[in-house]
Amino acid sequence: MAGGRDVLWGAVRGQRGDVTIAAALASGHQIGETFVPVLIGIAIDAAVGPGDGRALLLWLGVLAIVYVGLSWSFRIGAYRGERAGARAAHEVRTAIVARVLDPRGGAERGRLPGALASIATEDARRVGAVNVALMAGIAAVVALVASAVVLLGISVPLGLLVLLGAPPLLWAGHLLSKPLERRSRAEQERGAHASAVAADLVGGLRVLKGIGAERAAVERYRATSARSLEATLRAARAEAWQNGTVLALTGIFIAIVALVGGRLAAAGDIGLGELVSAVGLALLLLGPLSTLSWVNTELAQGRASAARVAEVLAAPEAVPSGAAEPLVAVDGRVRLRDVACGSLAGVSFEVEPGELLGVVADPADAWNLLRCLGREVDPDAGAVELDGVPLATLAPGAVRRSILVAPHDADLFAGGLEDNVAAVARIDVGKAMAAAGADEVLRGTVLGERGRTLSGGQRQRVALARALAADADVLVLHDPTTAVDAVTEARIAEGLRAIRAGRTTIVVTASPALLAVADRVVLLAEGRVADTGTHAELAGRADYRTAVLA
Amino acid sequence: MTLLPTASGARTRAVLGELVRPHRGLAVAGFGVLTAATATGLLTAPLVGRIVDAVAQRDPDVITWIVAGLIAVAVVQGVTTAAGLSLVSRLGETVLARLRERFVERALHLPLDELERAGSGDLVARVTGDVSLVAEAVRRALPELVRSSLAIVLTLGALAVLDWRFLLAALCAAPVQAYTARWYVRRAVPLYAEQRVANGAQQQQLLDGIGGAATVRAFRLEDEHTGLVARKSRALVELTMRTIHLVLRFYCRLHVAEYTGLAAVLVAGFVLVDGGHASIGTATAAALYFHNLFAPMNTVLVLIDDAQAAGAGLARLVGVADRPAPGAPAETAPGDGSVTVEAVEHEYVPGRPVLHGIDLRVRPGERVALVGASGAGKTTLAKLVAGVHAPTGGTVRADDVALVTQEVHVFAGTLAEDLRLAAPDASAERLRDALARVGALEWAEEELPDGFGTVVGEGGHRLTSARSQQLALARLILADPRVAVLDEATAEAGSAGAKVLERAAERAVEGRTALVVAHRLTQAASADRVVVMDGGRVVESGTHDELRAAGGAYAALWSAWSGSRDA
Repeated sequence: MAGGRDVLWGAVRGQRGDVTIAAALASGHQIGETFVPVLIGIAIDAAVGPGDGRALLLWLGVLAIVYVGLSWSFRIGAYRGERAGARAAHEVRTAIVARVLDPRGGAERGRLPGALASIATEDARRVGAVNVALMAGIAAVVALVASAVVLLGISVPLGLLVLLGAPPLLWAGHLLSKPLERRSRAEQERGAHASAVAADLVGGLRVLKGIGAERAAVERYRATSARSLEATLRAARAEAWQNGTVLALTGIFIAIVALVGGRLAAAGDIGLGELVSAVGLALLLLGPLSTLSWVNTELAQGRASAARVAEVLAAPEAVPSGAAEPLVAVDGRVRLRDVACGSLAGVSFEVEPGELLGVVADPADAWNLLRCLGREVDPDAGAVELDGVPLATLAPGAVRRSILVAPHDADLFAGGLEDNVAAVARIDVGKAMAAAGADEVLRGTVLGERGRTLSGGQRQRVALARALAADADVLVLHDPTTAVDAVTEARIAEGLRAIRAGRTTIVVTASPALLAVADRVVLLAEGRVADTGTHAELAGRADYRTAVLA
Repeated sequence: MTLLPTASGARTRAVLGELVRPHRGLAVAGFGVLTAATATGLLTAPLVGRIVDAVAQRDPDVITWIVAGLIAVAVVQGVTTAAGLSLVSRLGETVLARLRERFVERALHLPLDELERAGSGDLVARVTGDVSLVAEAVRRALPELVRSSLAIVLTLGALAVLDWRFLLAALCAAPVQAYTARWYVRRAVPLYAEQRVANGAQQQQLLDGIGGAATVRAFRLEDEHTGLVARKSRALVELTMRTIHLVLRFYCRLHVAEYTGLAAVLVAGFVLVDGGHASIGTATAAALYFHNLFAPMNTVLVLIDDAQAAGAGLARLVGVADRPAPGAPAETAPGDGSVTVEAVEHEYVPGRPVLHGIDLRVRPGERVALVGASGAGKTTLAKLVAGVHAPTGGTVRADDVALVTQEVHVFAGTLAEDLRLAAPDASAERLRDALARVGALEWAEEELPDGFGTVVGEGGHRLTSARSQQLALARLILADPRVAVLDEATAEAGSAGAKVLERAAERAVEGRTALVVAHRLTQAASADRVVVMDGGRVVESGTHDELRAAGGAYAALWSAWSGSRDA
């Protein structure tokens, strides 16, 4: 898959029509802007000075034409440029989401959801914005060339002075402001800290009030806010002086241009109007020059963002696709043969079609077992088989069509509560909700971001209802009732048993209520099967009691 | 859901005035110096005009002097601008800091009852979105706006000084600009609001899909979710383009204004020079002045909608900051640590009672476990005892109560700072002791990179939910209340974590009166007394052994839970 450079060029190439038109029209706009001070000078020279009314009308007409041209070039050009940027960002964004959600997985390894979301928004936007920068950059170069031609046409020495003087002036301003800028950025980050702390305290407000810590928190916030204010003020001061310095340097530059131009005009080498035009152009030239330095930063940021985007797009897949034909009718016989995977050191057991199997395992073993069953990873050694077919030979999507692994921290999606369940339901939603003890969670509740508006227990029951409603050939549950009270848990255990009758179900849990309804329980210890039996049989083992009943 | 109040325009201005008043001197100095800076800058154009005149009069030696003047103007302008901007920023930032401090103070003292009704989302949105909106305005827009406005006013003044008829000519542009600004704001404000909503929707969809990637894959919803994001993203692109189209039309109308004004000034120059009322140099200066007005004019017009957005944010901040200041903490005589609940009824929605005639007495130092199905009223009872709500009927007597729920929050900052929120003056020894009691000292000292100095919480070292809850229990120990209410404080962890948390909870409430909403029966088994609730009533009450022997609901529950061992 592509590197950052390819991502960047892909974003430009995909919008080449818009970018070309945008660059051409933006250049036209810049040339127009350059001509405005020139025309002011000419109008004064040719019309105001000699008092020629016809000349005045002529030049006002020319000025009007220039204005119409620059205005429309700007309007259409900028629109096309921005559209190229927005569309390219959209395409990058969609590609990232498609990659992250790819059945083969792997893109989110080592990246937090927030970081991935910011790559899909901020970085995608910056990659797209390269189109806008490209348009502005080309227009700035064209404007520079146009001003150069005009200035050199007025007077070669004056033109050279302006053209050679402006870049070092900008460079000097840049040099002077660089340390200020760096300092200001650091200070501003410290300044932003106050907002972050405030948000944090308000976010944990109920927790704070629970222990009566409001006063301590307010005191702490005052101190943070005061420190932040100090930092922000230093940053603002640095920025103010940077502004002042650039202003003074520009003024001195204009003074020098006026001096040389004035002397040339006094000597009769250039006309009065040309002097006015030159001074105006010298000021105007600073625009495209600083645009170029802005373009430079935009391109650098675009490159960095493109590299991050490329990294996600090219992230190695967690599991390869499988070549075997997907299973059509599934009996639901699951067999583990000497599976070694992470903490698992050779686990073998078999689940009969239609059996309800309990598995008791420590967190690491449980995690590895679940990942192997859902083919999120392939075992280092041994194999997991479904109806005698090794999972590693099936496409990950095909595995999940038959085996549903519902994780402990299953996420609910924004939207209606029942929509979550209905989106995957192959059996009656109401039946699944009832079996999961979720029927008295308010129907029709609209869920906020990932179901955060529900309590932990409610969320867990709705997630369980969804898993049951999918009616998978093989259902694997992990700690489905940890946030549920004992009364409801007992009801859920019965409901689970009834609704999964005849379908293979594996429940990885330490809940006695669930284990008690299982046909058999497999006890894992130190990555191996330590024992197998019913809940009642195993309850005699000391290690089982510690794991389950303590 | 009732949102928190938003201040009226008048109240917002009043509170702002109140905050600015102590810094009046700063305000006067800042605006004064910036005015001087802008006025100095205006000398450039007439000086260039003087050069033109000097050339016209063939007097090249004067040019050098004028140029020296130009250089002096540049230096003075640079220095005064820097000083003025510093002062204005100091004013803006200081007022902002006072406002956010007041906001946080009043927000943290909102009654829990009100907060539960409004939801904390609104408050968090104000403290993040609105504070940064206003801060950004203070940082970027305020200095720009002040400078540009001054530049416009003084330039127009300077035009008038050159000749009042130049001013008249320049003002030809004003009606077009005023009309354009109104036209733009009327369309832009709703469009920007729509765009913010679409942006939020896209962000949420992204987090939904990306954050839940494992679940999406498990249920094979990949295409559906990619499609959802693509749809939201396309909608946002469309809205963005509509906004850009509007902004571009806005600029095009401003071009019309620019041309109108410029043509008028040139015509005025022509007439005045022709009539001998002005020199060519003066006409040049006037045209240059007007050309120089373009940039500040556009800046001010563009900043209008920033200012409007910041104003709306400000109103939402003042809505909370304008609440009455919290009084001194009530000095009540410490109770004996008992909890008395008498004939308590409660309803959140009138006509739908959730508690019926609850009587419960908890002796000082007693540990009571509340057991029951969801919806039985356990959490409501716990909240009434903790004082979150006042009961709609009956009385609740309990003082010096702390509440720990399953809501985990690790406060951003070092681990020690997080703990000291509960006890600001606690020694390092006390912190260690509290962590040791909840079984967290080992990981805190050995697994965290900097021990107690490790930055935890948002943006810091991530703690599992079980560890976060251990911290919450350690804070409970440090807050040292007589009565502790734990509402499913162990629910968020998996089975392995639950056991650790149960032990931690047990140690945390040692020596206190405790009301524990238990969802694991082991917690109930070790309590002094078990209270079973159903349908908003207490149905059983007694020790674990008594209730098991009684053969009621609790006994049935326990035998199902413990499997064959007791059956």
